Order: sequence, then structure tokens, then C-alpha cells
Amino acid sequence: MDNKTIETISYLARLQLGDDKKEKITKDLENIINFVDELQNIDTDDIAPLANPLEKIAPKREDSVTSKSRKEAFLLNSPESDQNYFIVPKVVE
Amino acid sequence: MNIRFKTLSELKKLLETKEISSCELVSETFKNIASSKTNSFITLDEERSLIKARAFDEGKIKGDLAGIPIAQKDLFCTKNLRTTCGSRILENFIPPYDATVVENLNAAGSICVGKTNMDEFAMGSSNETSYYGTVKNPWDFERVPGGSSGGSAAAVSEGLICAATGTDTGGSIRQPAALCGITGIKPTYGRASRWGMIAFASSLDQAGTFARNAEDCALLLNHICSHDTKDSTSISDEQENYLENIDDDLKGKKIGIVKEFDISNLNKEVQDSFEESKKIFEALGVNFVEVSLPNIKLSVPTYYVVAPAECSSNLSRFDGVKYGYRANNINNLEELYIKSRSEGFGDEVKRRILIGTYVLSAGFYDAYYKKAQQSRRMIKNDFMEAFKDVDIIMSPSSPSSAFKIGSKTEDPIEMYLEDLFTISANLAGVPAMSIPHGFAYGLPIGLQLMGNYLEESKILNFAHQYQKNSDWHIKSPNLEEIS
Amino acid sequence: MSWETVIGLEVHAQLSTNTKLFSSASTQFGSEPNTQVDLVDLGLPGVLPVVNKDAFKKAIRFGLAIKADINQESTFDRKNYFYPDLPKGYQITQMTKPIVEGGLIDIDVDGDKKTINITRAHLEEDAGKSIHDAYPDKSVIDLNRAGTPLLEIVSEPEISSAKEAVAYMKALHQLVIFLDVCDGDMSQGSLRCDANVSIRKVGDSELGTRTEIKNINSFKFIEKAINFEIKRQIKVLESGEKVTQETRLYDSGKDETRPMRSKEFANDYRYFPDPDLLPVVISNDEMEEIRSTFPELPADKSKRYISEFQIDKSEAEIISSSRELSNFFEVAVESTNDPKLAANLLVGEIGSLLNKDNIKIDESKLSSNNFNILLQRISDGTISKKIAKTILAEIWETGRNADEIINDQGLVQIQDETLLEEVIIKVIESNSKQVEDYKNGKDKLFGFFVGQVMKETQGKANPQAVNDLLKKALNS
Repeated sequence: MDNKTIETISYLARLQLGDDKKEKITKDLENIINFVDELQNIDTDDIAPLANPLEKIAPKREDSVTSKSRKEAFLLNSPESDQNYFIVPKVVE
Repeated sequence: MNIRFKTLSELKKLLETKEISSCELVSETFKNIASSKTNSFITLDEERSLIKARAFDEGKIKGDLAGIPIAQKDLFCTKNLRTTCGSRILENFIPPYDATVVENLNAAGSICVGKTNMDEFAMGSSNETSYYGTVKNPWDFERVPGGSSGGSAAAVSEGLICAATGTDTGGSIRQPAALCGITGIKPTYGRASRWGMIAFASSLDQAGTFARNAEDCALLLNHICSHDTKDSTSISDEQENYLENIDDDLKGKKIGIVKEFDISNLNKEVQDSFEESKKIFEALGVNFVEVSLPNIKLSVPTYYVVAPAECSSNLSRFDGVKYGYRANNINNLEELYIKSRSEGFGDEVKRRILIGTYVLSAGFYDAYYKKAQQSRRMIKNDFMEAFKDVDIIMSPSSPSSAFKIGSKTEDPIEMYLEDLFTISANLAGVPAMSIPHGFAYGLPIGLQLMGNYLEESKILNFAHQYQKNSDWHIKSPNLEEIS
Repeated sequence: MSWETVIGLEVHAQLSTNTKLFSSASTQFGSEPNTQVDLVDLGLPGVLPVVNKDAFKKAIRFGLAIKADINQESTFDRKNYFYPDLPKGYQITQMTKPIVEGGLIDIDVDGDKKTINITRAHLEEDAGKSIHDAYPDKSVIDLNRAGTPLLEIVSEPEISSAKEAVAYMKALHQLVIFLDVCDGDMSQGSLRCDANVSIRKVGDSELGTRTEIKNINSFKFIEKAINFEIKRQIKVLESGEKVTQETRLYDSGKDETRPMRSKEFANDYRYFPDPDLLPVVISNDEMEEIRSTFPELPADKSKRYISEFQIDKSEAEIISSSRELSNFFEVAVESTNDPKLAANLLVGEIGSLLNKDNIKIDESKLSSNNFNILLQRISDGTISKKIAKTILAEIWETGRNADEIINDQGLVQIQDETLLEEVIIKVIESNSKQVEDYKNGKDKLFGFFVGQVMKETQGKANPQAVNDLLKKALNS
């Protein structure tokens, strides 16, 4: 796994690997990917992917409002907020 | 009174006959926890527990589990009680709601004394990845209790509590149950609601329980399992009473031994115990049949694609914006995400998120994730085929007994192979449990029983009959010796 | 150099359901921030989505209206990316198997007709809102909108000009409102448009590099943004440069598009099926129910009105384009024997009153019953059409019964010929000069006499009778 790949997936996951850990984790990832590469050898031509063991269908919900506001509780437990909003550093679009 | 190692049924009786009050029970429990050295709890809830105990003693609480202290794995949201998932990123997280499993057990009258320690976000097989410290195996403090529900298993094994909930995504109930010498069960996927159960791998996670025997597990499962409209993956099939058929005769029934699980490579004591257990069942009139699960060896690589993929997405919500850990000294949005997540998550979690991100990334989806889902269907088909010929399938729960703390953390792959026997049940979604059935190197080992979809009753029946005819489940660690 | 434009539009329509796509929180617009946020919408650990039945109903209704294929089994996928207004760090959408596939929309650009094909329409959840001007160095997040159901409608790249794009949006706008799928309020963000624009030399078969202009929320801006972008791209290519594939925002103040802040790494959304949601299956029974309650579309209604009731094409189109007006009209034609009159009044007099007050007809004080009475009284000659207008004005203000007003104000039309003849004689005798002028060829004065008769009778004279009798009197 080259550096660029590690950097890309780290960024996609918003994780920064410390320099001391980077090499070990890269090695670990390579080993794990080699390990799971075993799957490449199986013949899956006519097999439908199994997304969920149940193979049932989704229940559908009635369109009625049953939730009440929990603004105070939510904002109180957030890392940074004012009376009305969650606060984050300025986002530039 | 010494309440250590008493079963749920025994405690119920003591409460009924008023030989002990719930307040005494709860106080004793906290005393025992305080003197414990296994680090099996992360958060305790003494005040509220005593309030509930008092209410029970005053006759105000009724239910199957009324007045009985139990513990909840710290992966279940407990309203107004800190829930950490063994992680720094939820160090101060107080959920505003109860998981359905918690609600159900509360409604049955049980008293939650606290939240048990676990591998961070349920990722691990040894409870060595918790931010709140490693859990020690009550049988040998230098050894692991298994994981990820190590805290729950240790707490029951040590006799601190008669029952504790766990979750099982790749064996996280069965393997620690085996390593700690107690009984643990994971029902069919979808039997227990996942509402409030913090998600690791959504299509594999399932709630279950630890107890000192199968009968207790059955009673607990009666309450843990329910149909929940808040969980789209919750089964709506009729709820069973798992105690109803637990005493059924096993004569003429069939147990499958998996051809592809080559136990001849395992430690001699493990092999011997396996043979002994076969004899116990044979004496009850059970026949053994060889079954083949030809794709079983794909279980581990399949699991290590599916689980990380799902978890990499499930853990994206921990971003420091709305709840959870937010790093200091952040100057912009990117730093908010990167610092909070990097400081908040441990190494194993990061490893799995990165694998998951990789296997789902552009160009790799077909090669890994889709392939893994196809392999998963092949494994499921194997089980469906095998269950045509047998009632249940039996195997060791883990390759050996508890290993030394720190011995496997260097090589993640060695750790992943700990899950060899248990993973396939999660991939297929079938119910499975582990019961104590011997010792290897002086430490407990477990026997795994797997059943067909919705057949928790059957495996509990086999387990219960086994326990009526053996005494492994009655053994407990000699705490004076090892402390 | 001759250039042609290729445009594809992605329109996000907020469905007018009561609750969100996966939670039971309200979707009402304009509430206090963060008060319509459920545990599920906040993306708390342990929460799970449960799909809204009505969101599917509306999506299917739209699909049927554009004659698309409905996937009775559709699935949800996760689109993974980080943004503060996306609580879970992923959006639940339908990438692989959307609910609606194919279909078409007919558009009319200044009389020219064209059909635009639709690629697909799928359900997905909306994100919350980020507000950047509340604090100097912070942004704030309101999650009220998070989880609202969206129908993303993707057109084939068959639109060739800004004008066509506007016509397409207008057709879509009218359709979703008519179907009660979306309230179409663009100022509130109920209908949002992303435009993919590219240009190529006329005759080229290959598509040029496209840019995406995001979140345009008015017809006017769609036209301006696209026109600016076309001009910009032409300038770029004509100067020998290449068009950069990027996302741009339209700045209405400066009337220009500018690139969004570029990201270091292109976003890889890592789509995969959402393991918390099983496939959604719409049974044949459910499809039947949706089909049976499917409204008649404006175009079909219009044709039917013309053939069945022989009303004017323009009136048919106006009435059929509004669900409320067409309902009102259809009730009226059940009792009246003069549908043309009904249509006429609805579009003319009532139409003006509706515009003046900016309300819908079912919000007015004019009941169907009262309207029918009015029509009856005109048909049976009790009142003239002119008087009817006055009565209508009164009903509009007070809601009083038409008959009551007619009787109270003595508005019954004067049909009595004897009486009218008397008035005519009076008018002729008092206007002898005009009579002489008329008899000498000033035909236009006829109108003056009619006016005088009307004045004498407070407008109540039957206009036809007046005409006939006056003619007779003046020509004698």
C-alpha cells in the first residue's frame, strides 16, 4: 500500500496517523488486505450478494408526527452550542 | 450472606422467600465490585440501584427479574447514565434515551448496577483495546477474559453479578463466555432490537446475555428479545417462551460436527473435552452426524471485509459536532474532524475504519465488499443445507483457553483467528451459544452450540440437558488464590 | 465558431409529507431552529431509520405522472462524506435501485414543443442547514431540515438552452404542485435545481467538459446562471483553454458563477447498501391504491374540458392547471347547464378577485353552492351578467347567499317589455338631439342610448331586450 493510498483513505476517514504509528498501521493494513484477498479466488458467478441475513422487506411507517422537540437536551450535551444552534468553526464554501 | 456465584434462579428464590432483601443484594453487589480487581466495570450506578432495590422491597416492583442486580454492556444506551463503548470519544456521553434491550430488562424489574467494560466499539477479542483499561480474567489476572464483551463475562465469572448483557458481532459473547467459564448466548439476528445498541457492524451485531447457566439465559432472553418497530431489521415473528421446551428429551436428536473445523490441530485438552462432551450427549440418546460447511474457511476474510466496511460508515457520526469528544485548539473544520477523531479513537478502531474505508473506496467495491457479500450468501446456504440433516451444530467456541494479556496485540491477524469458530454464525445470522465444558492449561474452555434460524429454544434445550448431566458450569475461579 | 449547449438538470423536490423520510419529526417549514429534530435526525449513537410510507406514495405518483417505470422493489444506499449539517456522516439515498426510472416531461418554449427524457427519480434524505453569518469566526448548524424526504429528479442531458431549462423547471414545478408531491415554494427551498452545463461545437458528438452549478432557487436565476456559464465556457474554449470540471455557485448579486472552494481530495462517496434498511417493496395492492387515487393530469383535463364542455382552449388550460380551480369547476358543471359561462366567470371575474387577494379559491368566501346559484340566476335571466359581477364582488367580501343579495338590493333583471318601452320612450324624448344625429347616420350613438337606458334602470335592464327594443324604437 503506497503512501498516497494511506493518505487518501486517512483523509476520507478524517483520521491522522501519528508518524510513529503510520508505518505499523500501514504494515497492518497490508497484511489484512493480503489476508482478505483470499476472497478473490472464489467463484461467485451466479451468487447474489447477501446484504442482510434476514432477507425480509422493510417495514413502512405511517406519516404522523410523533416526535417532540428535544432542543434543550441536545444542545446541552453538545461540545459547543448557543441557545439555538450547534456551533462549529467557520465553514467556507 | 455470600451471594457470589449464585444463579439468577437462586437469587430469585432468596428474594421470594425474603431470605435476603433486594437492598442487601444490591449493597453486597457493590461491595464485591469495589473489592474486585478485574476492572470489569466502567460506570457504576449505586444511588439509583438502591432506590430501585428499596422500591422492590416495598413491593412496588414486579416482574420476572424484579429486584435482581444485573449489568449492561457499555454499548447499550442507558438513559442519563454515561455510555462510553469503551472509548475516549464517548467519555462524557450521557444518552437521552434507553436502548430497547435496556428498557425491556428494566420493565422486567431488574436493577442495572452499572456498565461493563468492553473492547472499544466492540472491536476486539480480548478486551485489551478499551480506553478504560484492560479487563482481567478472574481465573488468571494475567490473562484476557476474551472480547469484546470482556467486562460482562468477567463480572459474571467473578460472581459479581448473576447476569450481564453482551453483544456479539463475530463472537463477542461466545468467546468471552468460553474463556471465563460461563454461559453466553447470541440469538438469531433480528430477535433482539438494535435500537439503542451502538452500531459496530449493523448486519452482524446482535444483543445477547451472559449468565451462570442455560436456564438463566433462557429467562433473560425472554425479555431481551422483542419485536421493535423502531428497528427496521427487527424480526416480527412470534416471540417464544424459551423456558417452555428447555427440558425436552434429546433422545433421537442429531448434532452436526463440522468436517471443515479440523480440531485435530488444537490442543489435546481441547480435543479431549470435545470428545467428553460428545459422550455426554450420546448418553442422552443424541446421534452425531458429520456435516459439511464447505465455505466455512471464507468466514474470517469475509467478516474482515464486511464488518470494517460497515463500521467505517457507522463511526462517521463521531465527528465532534453534536456530541462526544471534541479536541482542543482547533482552528478550522478539518482540524475539528481530524483531531477529534484521531484523539478520540484507539488504534484498533482506527485500523478497522481504515480497512473499511479502503474496501469501499472507488475501484475496490466489487473486489472486496461485493465479493464478501457473495461469500456470505454461500456460507448461509451451507448452514441451511446442513440444518436439513441435524438439529444443532457443535464445535469448540475458541481455539484454546485464555491467552496472556499483551501476547496477541502485536499481530492483528493472530487476534482475528480467535474468531474462527464463532464468526460464521454472525455472517449467517443463526443463533449460537457457548457453555463451559472443560479446561485447557488450567483455564476454562467452551463448547459452542449453533442452531437454525429462530431456534434458540433448541440450543438452550441441548445446553440445559448438558448442564443437568455435568458440572462445568458450576465451577468458579478461586479468587483468594489468584488475587 | 458555432457552439451548442448541453444541459442536464438535477432537481431536488422536498416532498410535502408530514414527517421526515426516516423519523417521525415534523417537516414544517420555518420553526425555531433545532426543534424538529428527532433522536434519529441527530444521528445519535444507536438510532435506526424506519422509512416513511407516504414518501414512497408521492414518489410513485410522480413516476406515474411522467410515465416512468416504477421499481416496486427498491433499495437504499449510504453516501459517505463529512459535513457539519450531515449528522451521521453519510446520507441515505438510492444509488443502485431507485424507486423511479425513465419517464419524460413535455415542455413548451414560446410555442415550440419538446420532450425531455428523465433518467431517474430517487428518494433521499435532506441535510440540515449551515449558517455562516451568525458569528464572525464560527458557523452554526440547524438540523430541522435534516432527514426531510427529497425526490431527486435527474434529466437526461437533452436541454439545449437556458430558456428550455426554465421551461422544464416550470413544467416540473406545476406538476409536483398539482400532484401534491411538493409545495413548490422555491423561496423556501422546496424545489432546488442543480444545472450541469457543457458546450461543444455544433456537429460534435462528444460531450464537452461539464460544470455543475449548485442550488439555484428561482426561475430567473436559473436562466441567468446558465446563460452566464455558457458565455464563460465559450470564452474559455475560444481562448484555447480547457474548461475545468468543477462545482460552481451562482452569485445573484454579481450575476456570475464562481467555483466552490476546491477540495484537496476528490470526494469518494463509497456507496454501499444501507445495512439498517431492508429492500422496500411496494405490493401490487399498494400500487393499485396509488393508481386509483391518481389525479387526472392538467393536460388530459384540459382536453376533456374542451371536448366535453366546449369551453375555450385558454380557459381550459388555466382551469386545469390548478387543482383547486378544476375541482371547483367540476362541481359547478354538475349542476349548471352553461359550463361555458362557469368557465368564463372562473377565469375572468373570479380569477381577478383571486389574484387581487392572492388566495386559492377554496380559501375564498365563494362556496360552490353559491356559485351554482349565481350561474342559475344568470341562465334563467333573473340577473344580467353585468349585475352578476357586482353580486360576485359582494359575495367575495361577505360570503352572503346570492339570492339574498339579489332580493335585498332588488337586482332582479328587468325583462318586462312594457316597462322597458316606457323607459326607452323617456330616453328618446329627453335626448332629441342625439336621436336626430343618430337618424342622420351617427350609428355609434346607439351605445349612448343603451347607456342611458341602463342608467335609468340602475343597470338592471336585460341587455338583449334593451337592444331589440331600442332598435325598434329608433328605427321607427
